[in-house]
Amino acid sequence: MSDDDLQTDGGTASALPGESHGDDAHLPPKSSVKRWLVTTNHKDVGILYTVTAMFFVLFGGVLALLIRAQMLSPRAPGTGPLSAMAYNQAVSLHGLIMVFWFLSPLAFGFANYIVPLQIGAEDLAFPRLNALSYWLYLTSGLLVFTSFFQGASFAGGWTMYAPLNIPAFMPSIGATTTVLALLMFTVSVTVGGVNFITTIHRMRAPGLTMRSLPLFTWSILLTVWMMLFAFAALLAALMILLSDRLLGTTYFAATTAGGSVLWTHLFWFFGHPEVYIVFFPALGAMAEIFQTFSGRRIVGRKWFIVSMVLVALQSFIVWMHHMFLTAINLQVKTLFMATTIGISLPFDLMVFALIYTLIKGRIRWDTPMLFAFGSLVLFIVGGITGVFLGAVVLDYEFRGTYWVVAHFHYVMVSGVTALIGGLYYWFPKMTGKMYDEFLGKITFAVYFTGFNLLYFPMFLAWGTPRRVFAYRPEYLVWHQVASVGGLILGISFLMVIYNLTKSLLSGEEAAGNPWPYSTTAEWAVSSPPPMENFPGTPSYTSGVLEFLGDDESSESSSGTAAADGGTATDGGMVVHEGDHEEEVHIDHASYWPLVIAVFSFIAAVGLSGLQLGSYPEGLGGTFYMATSLIGSLGVIGAVSGMGYESFTAHEGGAGEAWPFEGVENTKLGIWVFLASDVVLFGAFIGAAIFIRVDYGWMQWQPVPHTAIPGLVNTYLLLTSSFSVILALVAAQKGSRNGVLAGLVTTFFLGIGFLVNKAIEWIELFHEGVWLSTNVRASTYFLTTGLHMGHVVAGLLITAYLIWRAWGGAYTDGNDEPLEYFGLYWHFVDIVWLFLFPLFYII
Amino acid sequence: MARTKLYTIIYVVLFVLATAQVAVEQVDLLGYWAAIAVIAVLSMVKALFVAGYYQHLVWEPRSLSYLMLIGFVGFIALTVAASYSIL
Repeated sequence: MSDDDLQTDGGTASALPGESHGDDAHLPPKSSVKRWLVTTNHKDVGILYTVTAMFFVLFGGVLALLIRAQMLSPRAPGTGPLSAMAYNQAVSLHGLIMVFWFLSPLAFGFANYIVPLQIGAEDLAFPRLNALSYWLYLTSGLLVFTSFFQGASFAGGWTMYAPLNIPAFMPSIGATTTVLALLMFTVSVTVGGVNFITTIHRMRAPGLTMRSLPLFTWSILLTVWMMLFAFAALLAALMILLSDRLLGTTYFAATTAGGSVLWTHLFWFFGHPEVYIVFFPALGAMAEIFQTFSGRRIVGRKWFIVSMVLVALQSFIVWMHHMFLTAINLQVKTLFMATTIGISLPFDLMVFALIYTLIKGRIRWDTPMLFAFGSLVLFIVGGITGVFLGAVVLDYEFRGTYWVVAHFHYVMVSGVTALIGGLYYWFPKMTGKMYDEFLGKITFAVYFTGFNLLYFPMFLAWGTPRRVFAYRPEYLVWHQVASVGGLILGISFLMVIYNLTKSLLSGEEAAGNPWPYSTTAEWAVSSPPPMENFPGTPSYTSGVLEFLGDDESSESSSGTAAADGGTATDGGMVVHEGDHEEEVHIDHASYWPLVIAVFSFIAAVGLSGLQLGSYPEGLGGTFYMATSLIGSLGVIGAVSGMGYESFTAHEGGAGEAWPFEGVENTKLGIWVFLASDVVLFGAFIGAAIFIRVDYGWMQWQPVPHTAIPGLVNTYLLLTSSFSVILALVAAQKGSRNGVLAGLVTTFFLGIGFLVNKAIEWIELFHEGVWLSTNVRASTYFLTTGLHMGHVVAGLLITAYLIWRAWGGAYTDGNDEPLEYFGLYWHFVDIVWLFLFPLFYII
Repeated sequence: MARTKLYTIIYVVLFVLATAQVAVEQVDLLGYWAAIAVIAVLSMVKALFVAGYYQHLVWEPRSLSYLMLIGFVGFIALTVAASYSIL
């Protein structure tokens, strides 16, 4: 399929059969609150993400205005509207909320709604996990809100640098809660990443090759791949930080490289890809809007995609340019300066492709295009000013000043600008209503003016120290202009919300495709699309988008929901061919994701009260302990409930599935999760090695006195891996007793592993070796403890499998659960094969 | 079943290699850094056996192996670059 064919796959929806699906597949109506609590449908979840993200932008925006109020004049501590501590909290939480709880979730609102439509899927691969991602996102945000009422929230900047982040310098329970909230958000992102990777790779319509994938979907695919590995490093960093805060380990207590530099490595290994994680969806939205409103396919489309792939890869080899002012050596600084310059090259290509597309096309300046174009202008300014920070010598001057603040906001908020354009662009699709175009244009003028009044003066006042409210008097005028700009920018957000809310309630009806020259599949269905998305099975095999009926679609026999009608594109007009009954019942509702998230919230609140491994005396301590216990048990119960719940989702795999053809969705999901777990454990192992290097690695220094208990545990885990594989062989032979024998053996070998480990730990405790004894002990207890957590999770699953096998499951040709559990259990075994020599031998 | 025999052989090999790792340290013939290299290689070999045969990667599409390799490369990149940065 040539790129040119892509211009013909859009269409205008007309009298689509899907519109007659009034019952929304047994979901309560949209006017019912219950609907939004139980839905797992990707369009509903997309709307939930979008609305919630808009709430958090107001939250983060109010904090920003408090910052600007404090900065109206140079202040001495204790003067101005905020106390010093309140200011530090406002700065830190503004950054955290905007980066984590607003920007990415807004992008994932669109990703949820639009990506399945663009690729021809009826839903995501794991709808309940998708709902779980959303609820964990919401409850993690509520946890941040809660942190303000627990003494004080986190006040050490959004980068949470060590050793400022440990209890000695930031003792409040609220600070711990903020870290717990971020950890919960990270879990949400990982679950979402696994889901989107599986969906985009495995559930594309026939004929929709990777090369012809729409650019927004490409941007989301690369975003979730980056998320998978980058957030695993952040998860490791947060788990270690929480261990320092809750259990008393001493990773970050040291002021040598072993402490503060270790944090910066872990954080920025995540943090630099995070810049592109935030920006890529905006870039994808920008590309879609440019194509639609210039009436031209993007120039150099193939190279645009190659550039995005290169940036995604390169994003993992530039992180140390954030560390030029730390104690890392000059050689590595020089190397990372070179890689940083290298990553600007593919971005140059993308920017030129976007500019040349506009030159070649005929631009229509509708509101989405205004925001997308504005975004490009702002991004160019942000990109050029960032080059200064990538050069070691210049960075020595600019680091820690308002130059960084200005550059950072020009990049990140240019992403916001494109996403606001996306909000106007896809609003008609998501709601079936048209926004007020005139007000939209006025809003852009206010937004763009406010933005530049706010951030450009920061370049001029660049000598102002970052995160500090005292500055030299000559910068006064620039900071006052910036504060006025902040107010105007804030008003423009209210105008966006007003416009869209009013249009939702009383706007004009939007057609299926309100945009001439749109080329992607979401515009070929009604606005909003029906529950099953398409009036037939989407197919690109003929070179253009068609909706096939049952008899035309050979895929309906492979587990996908059967087509409920047939349409075909003909010169851009979708033609309805007929109705058919749905053959496979697909579920769209489950309470469990919400219940899991609520109990996770409760457990996190309880855990926040833990200090040095124990709860404080008194009523407060009892409250926190009881809360963590209730929450933890609730999570285990709710996860079990979700596992036991009967839920049928679209399997996919009938169309394009490169490069995972023949790998079922669940199996791919598990492999993708394990790949992220490799980075999680890798970061823990890397931290242990880093600390050892920092302290001078010269000789044998195992933590336990003898390797024998570790060797025995190696034998136990290897044997359990063997018994799991024998259980699978027995299932394939149809032997129920064989399955039971294999699983029960695995279970008891796992218990044996834990008992042996417990004996070893108790012995060390008696010798006076505790988590906080020294950093070497900290690395040993925490890393092997994380592994033990994986063993415990595996044993819970084993117990469930034994119960099912007792009832005769897995021997009737449905042995996949055993195989999938085996993948996890063998992985746990592999991790131990590295931990054993690291902590017991060398 | 042929696979059962293969799984059993691999189990025995893994058992022997795990023991060999401890023996390398106990015997202490190679010198510290050479011994560490041998122990690390033995861990890699064991991991490859488990991943290749028990997790069936040798029979799966190669893309799954590349997927795990990407995660492993990320771990190595972080560990080596971070450790080198403070030398």
